[in-house]
Amino acid sequence: MNERIIGKNLVKVDARAKVTGRALYPDDLYFAEMLYVKVKRAVHPHAILRKLEISRAQQLPGVVKIITAADYPELNNFGLIIKDQPVLVGIGEKMRYLGDALAIVVAESKEAAGQALAQIRVEVEELEVIDDPRRAMEEQAPLLHPDGNILCRHQLNKGELERGLAAADLIIEQEYKTNRVEQLPLQPEAGVCVYDQETGVLKLWVATQWLHDTQADIAQALGIPPERVRIIQPVIGGAFGKREDISVHIHLALAALATRRPVKLTYTREESMITQSKRHPMIIRAKSGATRDGYLTAWQVEIIGDTGAYASSGPAVVHKGLYHCTGPYNVENVRGIAYTVYTNNTYSGAMRGFGATQLAFAYESQIDILAHRLRIDPARFRYQNAYRPGSSTPNGQVLTDSVNVRETIKEAVQMSNWPGGVEL
Amino acid sequence: MKKRGRGIATIMFGFGYGEGFPDHSIAAIEIKEQGPILVKTAAADVGQGVLTVLTQIAAEVLRVAPDRIVLSAGDTALTKNAGSTSATRQTYFTGSAVQKAAEGVLALLYHYGSLALHCNHPELVVKDGRVYRYDRPDHFMSYQELARLAHEKGELLQAEASFFPRTDAPDPETGQGERVYVAYTFMTQIAEVEVDTATGLVEVLRFDTALDLGKALNPQAVEGQIEGGTVMGMGMALMEEQVIKAGITLNPDLTGYLIPTALDCPPFYSRLVENKDAAGPFGAKGIGEPVTIGATPALANAIYAAIGIRFFELPITPDKIIKALRQEQGTNG
Repeated sequence: MNERIIGKNLVKVDARAKVTGRALYPDDLYFAEMLYVKVKRAVHPHAILRKLEISRAQQLPGVVKIITAADYPELNNFGLIIKDQPVLVGIGEKMRYLGDALAIVVAESKEAAGQALAQIRVEVEELEVIDDPRRAMEEQAPLLHPDGNILCRHQLNKGELERGLAAADLIIEQEYKTNRVEQLPLQPEAGVCVYDQETGVLKLWVATQWLHDTQADIAQALGIPPERVRIIQPVIGGAFGKREDISVHIHLALAALATRRPVKLTYTREESMITQSKRHPMIIRAKSGATRDGYLTAWQVEIIGDTGAYASSGPAVVHKGLYHCTGPYNVENVRGIAYTVYTNNTYSGAMRGFGATQLAFAYESQIDILAHRLRIDPARFRYQNAYRPGSSTPNGQVLTDSVNVRETIKEAVQMSNWPGGVEL
Repeated sequence: MKKRGRGIATIMFGFGYGEGFPDHSIAAIEIKEQGPILVKTAAADVGQGVLTVLTQIAAEVLRVAPDRIVLSAGDTALTKNAGSTSATRQTYFTGSAVQKAAEGVLALLYHYGSLALHCNHPELVVKDGRVYRYDRPDHFMSYQELARLAHEKGELLQAEASFFPRTDAPDPETGQGERVYVAYTFMTQIAEVEVDTATGLVEVLRFDTALDLGKALNPQAVEGQIEGGTVMGMGMALMEEQVIKAGITLNPDLTGYLIPTALDCPPFYSRLVENKDAAGPFGAKGIGEPVTIGATPALANAIYAAIGIRFFELPITPDKIIKALRQEQGTNG
């Protein structure tokens, strides 16, 4: 096939607007009569809200409205997969991490909104803070959510692990710990909302990685039909998974509904880092077996993923890691279990690689250790175990099309002048 | 002392939501009587370039220059569900939907062109925004004129298409399933590092990458993804960690949370393995996430090759390296 445009280096269609500064990011948008929103966050990572005193803040000059849970008793929780995150924590309810919202301040200026935040008085009943998922899994640990601290559990069972381990001449068992990584898009969360009183439609200019999902989640939290929420995508300053979750969206909608004026909310970097999702820190225990001549026979993993205070993408991330636990290598006998666990840490969600990134650190370390211990060149060891058409994944999915992993090893070895000049 | 080493990592990534989750994208393309060809999609461009790739796909199928294509900005009132910009899925899913919609419009160009020029498809040429008969190239009609013709019949020169491949939910006890993900992308990376044994600093000297992606729709954009993804993986390997103690973040700013800068970036060498053997548009697979996965283990393995010490906890910061070197000296001495 002779393609004319496919395969060519067309300059990105939005490059000119971005490099000349004409591209409009959400914080660049201004409307007449626009108000500014700030959010009072939790004062303790795990506590029951006993008292919320807003009267002094309310009287400050420039403060238009302070919204608390008491103003909207009908609000529903939100969340990407499980609706477990409150829009606002009410009196007698729990804050589960420092990003939980207690009140929404709407003011004529950012400064006035900021001053009001400092004047809101909060009284809480402190609970045990659980920052370690292993503590959260203990039976006597306090429950962060009513159904328990283990949000979900996933399993893998392919072939017969014991037989695979028995066939191994060398078994390597090791625990790995991965870090809590911030996606760090350059643009912090920001948005503008206008409530159209004639049509009853809330128009939001906010970044999201999935317009219709964000629309649906806002609408269900407010208890209105999705058509009454219109998301208009401005230019997005990076995402990497962090813009899958609700951030400014519902608070903006409430502020616009309450004041009937255009409203803007922009996070500080600190607020962005504390409030929005992270890459799941994982504890990965891996046990891998291989024969003397360098063929994998068995692989076992146990994964504990710290999903923090709320589910977000957690129920999908941790077991995606599990399903990638052997990497692109033929292993007939695989067993694994993955736990997704609540803690009082900033919640974990989607980040580039979605669990598969964390597992690669474990499996590629295991593979390297095995190769060195067996005195086989690490590239050759990978090559001889790598998938080819007809191989099956830890899920037992038989791969038929586009399985060129061995070619990538060959190419990379060739281009890098891999020491030893291994023949593949 | 400065010690050098190389590490290799080979990774896989099953893309799309998979696992039986309903995963699809809807796109539409319309040619109007005036103005550019409009592609309607809600696919979010977060900087990765999906709008550029969709422009290329539509232009290729409709045989026009890319500047004739305009993409509608994402708007829930004007565009239908494209699914998320995540799971490495937009080129594959929305790319396929746009390709199918463009094929629908191309077929309509043949249909209305045949009627207007009194012939059937085999005698028609459709390209560069014009439709004409092989034997009469001077008597052409523009795509826009055909749109007017369609409008006169009360019809639109428009097609909507969706891409909705099946996947299976894995068995809850065993995780086994026939088609858990639509496809897998594979990559091998080799990192070369220099470790300063006095300071524990790791300098990344180069990265060699071979990426199995089926087909690069825009090779430069792919290289951009490889480099950006690798740098993100360098951050995970060597410096990034949001530290939370007792529920409180100790470093919620870019003074306390370091990420790689341009000065930390090594030269990148990449080869694209293009066998055009995947089911995505023009044989392509998704690459957005896989390109960040290899860097961390490749660097960990390179550090081992350099100093003979393995690290099992990320990030591998200078203080951990120094501590490990001292411990080793202690046991050796």
